[in-house]
Amino acid sequence: MITAGIDIGSITTKAAVMAEGKIRGTKVVFTGYNAEQAGTKVYEELLAELGMEKSDVGRIVSTGYGRNSVKFMDKAMTEIICHGAGAHYLNPRARSVIDIGGQDSKAIVLDEKGKVKNFAMNDKCAAGTGRFLEVMARALEVDLDGFGTLSLRAGDPSRISSLCTVFAESEVISLISKGENRENIIAGIHESIAARIAAMANRLRIAPLVVMTGGVAKNIGVVKALERKIGMAVEVSEYAQVNGAIGAAFLAAGLK
Amino acid sequence: MKEADEFHAILKDPVSYGRKMKEQGRKIVGYFCSYTPEEIIYAAGAHPFRIFASGENIHFADAHFQSYCCSLVRGALEGALAGNLDFLDGAVFPHTCDSIQRLSDIWRMNVKGPFHADIVLPVKLDTESARSYMIDVLRKFRKDLASHLRVEITDDMLKNAIGTFNTIRRSLKRLYELKAENPGIISGRDVYAIVKASMMMDRDHLTEALPAVIGELEKKKGNAELYAGKRIVLAGGICNHPDIYRIIEDAGAVVVWDDFCTGSRYFEESVKDNADPMAAIAGRYIERPVCPAKHAGIFTRGENLLKIAKEKDARGVVFLFLKFCDPHAFDYPYMKEFLDREGIPSMMLEVEDQLPSEGQLRTRFETFVDML
Amino acid sequence: MNKMPEIVLFFLAKIKKLALHFKKKKKMKEIMMVYYMEAKSARISGRKVAWITSGGPVEPLIAMDVIPVYPENHGAMIGASKMGTDLCEKSESMGYSSDLCSYARSDIACATVNGGPIGGLPRPDMLICCNNICGTVLKWYEVQARYFNVPLFIFDTPFCHVGYAEEVQRYVRSQLDEYVLFLEKACGKKMDSDHLKAVGKLSLEGQRLWQAVLATTANSPAPMTAFDAFYHLALIVTLRGTPLVIDYYTQLLEKMKDRVARGIGAIPNEKYRLLWDNIPIWPRTRWLSEKLASHNACLVADTYTSAWCGTTKYIDENNFFDSMAEAYTRIYLNIGVDEMARIVLEMVDMYKVDGIVMHSNRSCKPYSLGQYDIQKIVEKERGIPCLMIEADMVDERSFSESQVSTRIDAFMEIIKERKGA
Repeated sequence: MITAGIDIGSITTKAAVMAEGKIRGTKVVFTGYNAEQAGTKVYEELLAELGMEKSDVGRIVSTGYGRNSVKFMDKAMTEIICHGAGAHYLNPRARSVIDIGGQDSKAIVLDEKGKVKNFAMNDKCAAGTGRFLEVMARALEVDLDGFGTLSLRAGDPSRISSLCTVFAESEVISLISKGENRENIIAGIHESIAARIAAMANRLRIAPLVVMTGGVAKNIGVVKALERKIGMAVEVSEYAQVNGAIGAAFLAAGLK
Repeated sequence: MKEADEFHAILKDPVSYGRKMKEQGRKIVGYFCSYTPEEIIYAAGAHPFRIFASGENIHFADAHFQSYCCSLVRGALEGALAGNLDFLDGAVFPHTCDSIQRLSDIWRMNVKGPFHADIVLPVKLDTESARSYMIDVLRKFRKDLASHLRVEITDDMLKNAIGTFNTIRRSLKRLYELKAENPGIISGRDVYAIVKASMMMDRDHLTEALPAVIGELEKKKGNAELYAGKRIVLAGGICNHPDIYRIIEDAGAVVVWDDFCTGSRYFEESVKDNADPMAAIAGRYIERPVCPAKHAGIFTRGENLLKIAKEKDARGVVFLFLKFCDPHAFDYPYMKEFLDREGIPSMMLEVEDQLPSEGQLRTRFETFVDML
Repeated sequence: MNKMPEIVLFFLAKIKKLALHFKKKKKMKEIMMVYYMEAKSARISGRKVAWITSGGPVEPLIAMDVIPVYPENHGAMIGASKMGTDLCEKSESMGYSSDLCSYARSDIACATVNGGPIGGLPRPDMLICCNNICGTVLKWYEVQARYFNVPLFIFDTPFCHVGYAEEVQRYVRSQLDEYVLFLEKACGKKMDSDHLKAVGKLSLEGQRLWQAVLATTANSPAPMTAFDAFYHLALIVTLRGTPLVIDYYTQLLEKMKDRVARGIGAIPNEKYRLLWDNIPIWPRTRWLSEKLASHNACLVADTYTSAWCGTTKYIDENNFFDSMAEAYTRIYLNIGVDEMARIVLEMVDMYKVDGIVMHSNRSCKPYSLGQYDIQKIVEKERGIPCLMIEADMVDERSFSESQVSTRIDAFMEIIKERKGA
């Protein structure tokens, strides 16, 4: 059976199509202001790319904040359940998932079947989310995509201690005006976000294997900083950003 | 249910309700927290009216409290400074946490109501000297209130008041029991509204309104449909969010009991029919499940929560805390561990006066309910 | 009785010798080092260790030869050595909210990892919690009572919104007896009431000396700053009731009087005098002191260090034990905001200050909630400006250097303007 998963997040909307337990294709678009439109668009475009018709798809699960805004799904499930399932599908040894998204971040502990045993989410504060990195990139006038590799060149990461995004931004600005080099500042920002996430993850007593999902997983600097903070290796799959959609498609196959 | 309508109406606009009572010539005494001896206020012929956060944007209170103070304290002061509580003839502050303690000071210095009483209860409730001090404090409050209102508060009046409040407490407990036994017969929102409005409603009317609700439910329970939702218990301080119940029910669960100051802690235990009413009221505070700002042993609260969860056959516990509420935040790790050890899953939600986005709440509750 | 191994005896002798040596020299650092070494070797020397809150009645412990250890002092050391952020993060991963008191958070975390600047505090045999400073200590000590599984004594000092009621006196006084019984049971010996009297006398004398030391800064230029007071404070907190405190502060007082006589100021060019309110921002005291000195501003006094000598008026020299009840109940943080404002006004007059720097401390609600009202009262009654700095005593994550720096500059501009500089 062919199944689809659609993950409608606050910034991007992702789709995945699976057939007989294999990933056939994935796609990412910006969500914009209309979640339903984004969900429909990413789904139709992905089907077109794969040369499929809607009638080919047996079942659809939607997830993410906009999961209830699309009308054509068979079931809506939370992104926490889907991220757990996605991580399990991609690597059955995964026992913990750390997902840093645009607006929120979560830590999830899984059992051996990929079912959620426990989870935590950040509070409404932006520290420890992708948004925090965006604000910092703006302050530094550096493209966010370059953040990861730049930070690996840091000799002595700056200390950015503020928990508050606004405070941290002013710390970054004052580091810039003191002439601190960019690489060190960026590495300091990564340490800071990693500390925040590690506190949340440790509260749950996460266990290996830890996988990281979500857009921020593409940032190697955050991944490395996180590994140091939690004292465990962190694996990032090539499907990190579409992990939730894959999980949804995977769960769709098991729907009764 | 329609019997709950008048309770919802009070909660929607407590200020109008208070003003209306005032117009009828009643003396109204505002109070904080479930350690207020409402019996004494009622015996004095006055109406005990519980004060909650006004729910409006903080404007006036920002000049007195920093942002790291909880929304109950900030919101209550906001209501008073905005003039919403002008119908009060006085305010009573039982001593609990550091923030309420300073709220009393700031209220006394800035709101300047006609009557201001601090009931500085002992912080420990497990020694004899604390018990006799508590009785002293209650006696003093009785005396001060009587002299302010220029009334006499006799033991007979107190015994009558104790009877009234014992009846109210028993009714509220019965309401909870009915909900726990037949979760489908009344919504969580209705139960919430009934208990909270009971702390504001005219008590003589309440002693008629509650039996009406319960009578209706007793009739319904025989042919109630079996409710399939997963049973959960809420724990924390005060709950200001009726929407929580709806979101939990939408997620496929049902609240069967709580350990809230605005819930079971308000009605648990009766005042004994002792010779000395003051000793009897003090006795109830000592027997009752404690607020985390009080001390009655180092494991008491964890054991009590575990007992509730087991007795009510709960599949999970949701801790609902006000952000910046220190006493609850200190107890959380060990209470969670108590539940973990028994294999009872739990989740924690910190809220201020406004709930987090409904999207995030739904995600959390749906995932949690799926886990149970 | 087991015979102590030779190495232990040797170690104890060493400490004793070191202690004698340092006691003669009376240097703070060494005194504190010996104090912590003695506390940490209590198990081998067979003495009991009690953890006690900073405002708690320590005299009965000293009289029973129990070593008092102060988690709050330890918290300050953790903050000053900039080790607070890591420990706070650790406590957060244990499930404690980042909004909780950072002394409590770092202490709770430290107990589990024996971290911090001195490798953790010695394990307590008992916990003495006096809630005259806050309700937080109750919850904090409950956590530690569960962790260490040792008896907890709660010395409950009801909050005095207005005045001091007779039922409060009765209650607190009766707890003093319960406290002594608790100690007798924990130590397996009787309290020597003569010894307790002697300790009481020393405690009162120490408090008076500390008061005298602080009062020297009423002179202009001030011979020391509040930053110095934060440092010298450690003894009146930790060793109150011992002769060591008397020797140390006697010497310090002489030194300050000498500086006053010779007109030596603590900062090179004292032009503006400021009053500090709240617990110091421990990891930033040096930065703050340099920042203020760069404006020729001197923190001449503070509401914090004076809290350890603010209730001597309630103590009866000849009946220390009975009068302790009132003295411990009516301390600075256990009274109404209006009463606190009155004390601040007294300090404004006594120390002739030009402005107040208030640390709005996220960790300490009883100290910080009410500051806005005190600020308004001071501005109205004395017409001097107040600066509010939002920070935390240990957790550096709540401190924004650039923001605080800008605020101080602006505040000093106002003060300079007013003084017609």
